[in-house]
Amino acid sequence: MTQRYFEDVVIDEELEPLERIPTVELAGGFSPGQESIMGNRFTDAAVNREIGIRGALVPGPLKIAWLTKYVSDWAGVGAEIASIRVALRRPDVAGKPLILSGRVVDKRISDGVPLVELEVVTLADGQPSVRANVQVRMPARA
Amino acid sequence: MPEDEIRSLITDEHRALVGVQGEPATVTVREADAHRLRDLCGDDDPRYADGTGIAPPYVISSLGNASRRESPNILPGGLMTQQEWKFTRPFRIGEELTAISQISDIRERLGGRYGYSILITTTTNYYDAEHNHVAAVMMTLTQFDPAGAGETE
Repeated sequence: MTQRYFEDVVIDEELEPLERIPTVELAGGFSPGQESIMGNRFTDAAVNREIGIRGALVPGPLKIAWLTKYVSDWAGVGAEIASIRVALRRPDVAGKPLILSGRVVDKRISDGVPLVELEVVTLADGQPSVRANVQVRMPARA
Repeated sequence: MPEDEIRSLITDEHRALVGVQGEPATVTVREADAHRLRDLCGDDDPRYADGTGIAPPYVISSLGNASRRESPNILPGGLMTQQEWKFTRPFRIGEELTAISQISDIRERLGGRYGYSILITTTTNYYDAEHNHVAAVMMTLTQFDPAGAGETE
């Protein structure tokens, strides 16, 4: 895991795309706290037919966790995720590969803290299913 | 159904819920959750390795939302459509946090994938034993009538 420093980050820098496959097992393992509001939509495709979704849903927190880790791995262990804000634009179904990609959109010092902001997405069949903005507290060389 | 025939399902009673804090709830950053989620993510970040006492940030998804029981169920279907996680500092495994939740917003939407829908946003802030802010979750649940939803492969 490479350590990046605030001074070295370049706006418009793109992150290397990464493929993740959300299996039903992963979906079920990441959603035990959500059954009360979501039923068994993460493990049972039949339940989703009534809302027009053909397959078991991929839980939003799993995709957010993947995006968090994706950015965290890019930034290095000396950085900290400050926030991630996501719009879940389309439901994803288990078994379909997702491509994670992103780019740096801003860097600034805020209250003395070096911050970098990235836009990241998950792509399913080439279309964004999740869009996110991530703020990272970066280490500085100085 | 023409838009002029659609009546709002949001009542004054629903609006009165906005901004009202729920009772504080105690939640624990459990080692089992931290390790389960870390392993599911295949996360080999040394900060979250066994014995470090630090949980990965996404353990926040296991802490629960104390205000959920207070959210009104206006329409039968529901999907999470927006979420934000904020972190003031890393989570420590085993620490107890106080969760304080409230409904931040209730609004409605016409059209789109789900037809007429209600968007309910809840915010939960987590504080440590010294009352320092640790993290927050904002979640928007879109409620809709499945009969009016489109189809997605």
